[in-house]
Amino acid sequence: MKLGQAFTLTFCFLSLGLSSSGLAQEVFRARLSPMPTTPQTVSEILGEGEVFLTLNDHQLEIDGHFEGMSSSAKSAHLHAGPPAQPGPVVHVLEIDPSTGGRIRAILELTDKQLLALRNNALYIQVHSERNVDGELRGWIFLKSHFERS
Amino acid sequence: MKQNHSYEKPGIQKFAAILILGTLSACGADSSSTTAIEVATAPLSSRSLETTSALTFETQANVGAQTYAMNCAVCHGASLEGTTLGPLLSGNAFVRRLGEQTPALLLGNIRANMPPGGNEDLTDVDYVNLVAHILSQNGVDSVITALTPETDFEIAENISEVVARRQRPEPPAPEGLTVKGNTEDFVPFVPLTDTMLRDPSPDDWPMHRRNYYAHSYSPLEQINKDNVGNLTLEWVWNMHEGDSEPAPLVYNGIVYLINPGNVIQALDGKTGELIWEHWTGPANRQDMRNIAMYEDKIIQATTDARLVALDARTGEQVWENVIADNSKGFSNSSGPIVADGKVIVGLAGCARYIPEDCYISAYNADDGELLWQFETIAEMGEPGGDTWGGLDNIFRAGGETWITGSYDPDLKLTYWGTAQQKPWVPVSRHMTIDDVGLYTNSTVAVSTDSGELDWYFQHVPAEALDLDEVFERVLINRGDDKLVYSIGKYGILWKNDRVSGKFRGFKETVFQNAFTHIDPETGEVTYREDIQNAQLNEWTSACPSSTGGKDWHSMTYHPPSGLIIAPLSQTCLENAAREVALVQGGGGLAASRKFFEMPGTNGNLGKVGAYHADTLEEVWSHQQRASLHTGTISTAGGLVFVGDLDRRFKALDVNTGEILWETRLGTSVQGHPVSFAIGGKQYIAVTSALGGTSPRVVPGVIATEITYPRWGNAIYVFSLPD
Repeated sequence: MKLGQAFTLTFCFLSLGLSSSGLAQEVFRARLSPMPTTPQTVSEILGEGEVFLTLNDHQLEIDGHFEGMSSSAKSAHLHAGPPAQPGPVVHVLEIDPSTGGRIRAILELTDKQLLALRNNALYIQVHSERNVDGELRGWIFLKSHFERS
Repeated sequence: MKQNHSYEKPGIQKFAAILILGTLSACGADSSSTTAIEVATAPLSSRSLETTSALTFETQANVGAQTYAMNCAVCHGASLEGTTLGPLLSGNAFVRRLGEQTPALLLGNIRANMPPGGNEDLTDVDYVNLVAHILSQNGVDSVITALTPETDFEIAENISEVVARRQRPEPPAPEGLTVKGNTEDFVPFVPLTDTMLRDPSPDDWPMHRRNYYAHSYSPLEQINKDNVGNLTLEWVWNMHEGDSEPAPLVYNGIVYLINPGNVIQALDGKTGELIWEHWTGPANRQDMRNIAMYEDKIIQATTDARLVALDARTGEQVWENVIADNSKGFSNSSGPIVADGKVIVGLAGCARYIPEDCYISAYNADDGELLWQFETIAEMGEPGGDTWGGLDNIFRAGGETWITGSYDPDLKLTYWGTAQQKPWVPVSRHMTIDDVGLYTNSTVAVSTDSGELDWYFQHVPAEALDLDEVFERVLINRGDDKLVYSIGKYGILWKNDRVSGKFRGFKETVFQNAFTHIDPETGEVTYREDIQNAQLNEWTSACPSSTGGKDWHSMTYHPPSGLIIAPLSQTCLENAAREVALVQGGGGLAASRKFFEMPGTNGNLGKVGAYHADTLEEVWSHQQRASLHTGTISTAGGLVFVGDLDRRFKALDVNTGEILWETRLGTSVQGHPVSFAIGGKQYIAVTSALGGTSPRVVPGVIATEITYPRWGNAIYVFSLPD
């Protein structure tokens, strides 16, 4: 093998490796903010958070944090629904049972869920002891989307 | 099409009861609803109220205090003293607004409209107890028997303190000229003619949005991109307190300033010295956005729907006329435009079921004589009258014109946006999504000569979420095209031919999910199915919220760049319709609402967006956490000015949106900035203010970390150092 050919092959392998990992890994983000509220409930539905979601093929690794909720978290879910339109639970997430802490999960998405993720049609919702119907919520967008806004 | 609706509906007996809906619905209500309104007692379940028969008024009041604390106090204050989220419900203001009403009417109104976030947890008994608490706190002291839904005594007559006060004279509120002076002591007076209004001097800002076309653009360029960083405060003037979204006028070096409570001041633009002050009344701390000037007169609409002309030199009253009967609920929150010697003004407070409808009306600028009225609601037997689902005329409500229109002096047409049908949701109106309700939520082009409708374009028929299309119409000529642009609460920038009304294009300026389709050829919108079919007490989630997309804050057109630069808002809502009985005197708004951040915005409520008038493409945007509370203005110096809830007043590069200068004022920056020049020196003026209905309430529950003083109405004037 000539040196030139070796360089070419090496370059091709490197390129393939980089491009495949580049294609396979996409980073998403959700900003968690209070569920729909009114002047009457604004002091009872509290907190905020940020969650990053890394997609490799169909595997979605979720890691985020939240703080300032009115009471301890009871559960967190991944829901399906287009932006601002609530929908059903599709996965259960791990969450620290306190007013602030971490949200984690490693999930295997179906093709349908993958499509929903790329269409901004998945969101995370956190439930607390005082707000069992949900206290924090955030739709998932590509991380780069927020960098533009 | 040509129409003239200038008569009253016949044969319906006047319903005597009046209530200030705004008193009880400001948590989330719009300016169109901060009005006196007739109400009827909503039918209550007799079974649910059987228990009240064994109670006393005092017991009801005690129980009602707890209900009030849990459901009302956050907006109206623990002691009914009011907050920025809701008006006070006690003291003289309460007696003045509600003293002549009955507990039954108060009950009907509260039950139909309060609390704004929903009433599923409140029973009929709870509402009766709430009324008892409010009456008790206001000193109702001669009631022994328990209240019922039919209790019909006059509230004030059962407050012994009020009865005693009525028997002794009390100091009247200031009225008329409280400070006398003459602008001619500062500058020689030159009447403001039609010609000058058509092509204002670069030094002046002589009408709301500066020219007939509503460009909010100043040709002054002394303050520009290179030196705006040197802007310094020239003078500041504290204004009267109250709700305020003011748009100052500046003519020949004099600043004419509308204050809350229908007070107008004339100030020397160079020094801020007060020249004269006139209290037209009522002295109610309510909001009036703008005034007009013509020849030698300052012309104001009042919050109680009168039209008054003052001498621009001295502030003395010249003439007065009634726009509409305030005792029937009509009011104004915006002032007139003067076109070809005619004072043209809109109307608000049209949400109730009474014989009279809302209208745009015109008056002779010389003497205030009524010239014509154009009704915004099509009645049975008239063109468009078959678009109201067969409802009797009396139940056709809405169509307010609560934002001042614009004017094309060549076409002799005035362009206005109309508000939506009332109540807010079709099912509450006893209608369907197919009952489009002409001429609501439309652009109407009306002949200034005759008051006849020349054309209309209904942007969002059968509106279903309290998202009206009522805001300013910006007239722009591009080549041979004469166009009119507008943005309503859906945040859609509409482009129409202003000769024919033909749809010419649209652009979504913020995220919206209310429509699944907007026809690119016709502009026809298709609502999401769940919004189309929303039933009573069903929650619907949609974007934007009732604070808009865009609200009352005017956008600007910058001719040198061809850009339209708009102050926008990014929040969403959940909305649920309430039941409204089809009874004379009923009506109202009737929806429960909750608010949340708009997905994908990173919590940025405020957005300044720049769109090219030809392509409608977004050229740049500036987004920020704090909501915007002023209109945008642009200048030949390449600048855009805008202010926000977080007390910041900013100058942006008109071509890029880059922030070139900012400063912080005493409280939230709210109103309409202006630019003017005196003696060759350019000034930028802006107001700080409180109030402002939905655009203030919604950020108040979403961006709770933003704090500002609850007082501090003022005008600030900036210039470059000499």
